[in-house]
Amino acid sequence: MKSVFLLQLQRLRREPILVLSMMAMTFGFVFLLGGMGSGDRIEVPIYFDEAISQSGQEELLDRLNQSDTFVFQTTEEAAAEKQVALGEITYAIKAMPDNYRMLVAADDPNQLLVNQYVQQVYADELRLQKAEAAAGDTDFRKKVDSLLADAPITLTGLTAEGESDSAGYDQKNQFLFGMTLFFSIYTVILSLGKVAEEKRTGTWHRVILSPVRKFQIYIGHLSYAFMIGFSQILFIFLSFKYVFNYELGNHFEAIVLTVACYTFAIVALGMLMLGLVKSLEQLNALVPIVSVSMAMIGGAYWPIEAVSNNIILAVSKVLPMTYAMDSLKGIALHNQNIASLAEPLSIMVLFGVLCMGIGVNLMERTS
Amino acid sequence: MLETTNLNKAFKKNKAVIDVNLYLDKGESVGLLGPNGAGKSTTISMISSLVKPTSGDVTWHGKSIVKDPNAIRLHLGVVPQEIALYKELSASENLKFFGKIYGLKGKALQDQIDKVLGIVGLAERKDELVKHYSGGMQRRINIAVALLHEPEFIIMDEPTVGIDPQSRNYILEMVQKLNKEKGMTVLYTSHYMEEVERLCDRIYIMDHGKIIAAGTKQELTSILSSEETIFVELDRSYPELVTELREIDGVLRVVETDKGIKLITPKNSRLLGNIFQAAERQQAQLISVNVQVPTLEDVFLHLTGRKLRD
Ligand SMILES: Nc1ncnc2c1ncn2[C@@H]1O[C@H](COP(=O)(O)OP(=O)(O)O)[C@@H](O)[C@H]1O
Ligand SMILES: [Mg+2]
Repeated sequence: MKSVFLLQLQRLRREPILVLSMMAMTFGFVFLLGGMGSGDRIEVPIYFDEAISQSGQEELLDRLNQSDTFVFQTTEEAAAEKQVALGEITYAIKAMPDNYRMLVAADDPNQLLVNQYVQQVYADELRLQKAEAAAGDTDFRKKVDSLLADAPITLTGLTAEGESDSAGYDQKNQFLFGMTLFFSIYTVILSLGKVAEEKRTGTWHRVILSPVRKFQIYIGHLSYAFMIGFSQILFIFLSFKYVFNYELGNHFEAIVLTVACYTFAIVALGMLMLGLVKSLEQLNALVPIVSVSMAMIGGAYWPIEAVSNNIILAVSKVLPMTYAMDSLKGIALHNQNIASLAEPLSIMVLFGVLCMGIGVNLMERTS
Repeated sequence: MLETTNLNKAFKKNKAVIDVNLYLDKGESVGLLGPNGAGKSTTISMISSLVKPTSGDVTWHGKSIVKDPNAIRLHLGVVPQEIALYKELSASENLKFFGKIYGLKGKALQDQIDKVLGIVGLAERKDELVKHYSGGMQRRINIAVALLHEPEFIIMDEPTVGIDPQSRNYILEMVQKLNKEKGMTVLYTSHYMEEVERLCDRIYIMDHGKIIAAGTKQELTSILSSEETIFVELDRSYPELVTELREIDGVLRVVETDKGIKLITPKNSRLLGNIFQAAERQQAQLISVNVQVPTLEDVFLHLTGRKLRD
């Protein structure tokens, strides 16, 4: 068992590309999506039509700048037009009383986002104005504002743990946890894929013919895959905590335990997949399908709270990804400790035990 | 020492091995000869306890290894048909790992490694990565791994496929030495009849999953004692000539090889005249015509109507 484990490590040292590239991808995507410098907001140049009064301009700017994602900065019409024409900026907004116009030069992925957002703000404004007119009350707007500020009922989203506030998720941690857990699936399952590779090259049969027992060989491979996945995730978390100063809460031991349970569940899932496929090629084809769908449904790409489809929510309830994301966010945001995570952690372990049992049986049946 | 009784293996509907009965005595060198797909590797997998037979049994010193695979494993070395090595590691790293899983360690392990490296003649290059080796060297390390735990019985599955003549010769000599000098029992599989002719005391000929003949080389070639082989060497291939030769009365088998046409005829059948006439009619350019002593290849041709190699 130890020999099998050490052998795989030795092979990794000779060919570390897979693991290194998965790590690099994780870092790359977390930086890219997390915008590196703590939620850099998207700058939007804006100028106003003469029909809007000075106070109207300020009010609109206030409203627009309530978003965390965009920062609107006033500019002059002539300057904006020139800059857009020269391609110095890719777009600018011209605000008019009931409408707006977007000056566009080149394609920019943010255009859509900005457009969508401004449209929403205008639509809300128009609705308010209509309501105001219908009510015939000049103080209507003030009343709405004060009612919103001091609402008789507040809506708080309750998640499975009943603790996290649905609105309060942290973008940066979402990307860190999501991308790390997502890419680790590849590392773990492809490391376990060495079993399929060995069956093809024939070394597996050599090892089987030796006095080493079969379960020892399996444990050797499984513990190797676990160790690789576990170290990859922890290394990334530690780097972001200490090098890039991400806030991960005060219970790092809970993070370690969550990662261990999650990695175990993924190793077991890999075992199940190995039992289902006939060749290494099939496994390689299956890994992206499984990992991407699990990441999507399990909330690695976007928070599960953003999903309202009942089927997807139901499926997410059986995926280890969902519980790992929930637990990690709970630890980082709400300082949850191990005791309060008993449920998600045991569900991940249960998932692992089930997959492992079925997987080993399938493998032994096909060999 | 080892015996199989009515060994069968079917993969779904495909019967790979059908009622194979064979035995090996201690110290013997036995060949299993047959074309690709004959069922040699499948037979070997069952003998080495890797694959369970569909029916039948394999016994080692009288004990069934189907029931108890461990009875044979420590005494057996298997050289698989494929290069079953970790190619990104060096030869000595491979040997170290396989030695360890056989329970060797420390100095004993190192001594064994040095010994087998000596046997396969790769001691100086042991630290090179296997993937940088030539095909012949990879084959030699493939064999070395099977020798590490000093098995009394070694099974080799086509150990010389796809390598240069020197390496091949080296391997054949090595196997001969292991058998004659160290008394190792050898089961050698091949589709090269020269190899089994040279190495083996007894030979089983296998085709389509069945053993179609067995015995010493003399016994097997005496199957053809009342026949002779005529080899017609030609400058190129003449398909019509083959057809025409088949129609000559008394000709038993005709097969085209890369250098000409081989015929099996009854002894002293005096068919040379007919052959020359046929060649004349087809305007075939004859280079030579020989009457030969039958080989194992001819035995296979006689029994199946096909060449051993396609
Ligand atoms: N694992 C397997 N699954 C299905 N068919 C197989 C398997 N192994 C071998 N066969 C089939 O059994 C037959 C004999 O194969 P094999 O024993 O490898 O022949 P040989 O070693 O003489 O070339 C072939 O027809 C081959 O396709
Ligand atoms: Mg074979």
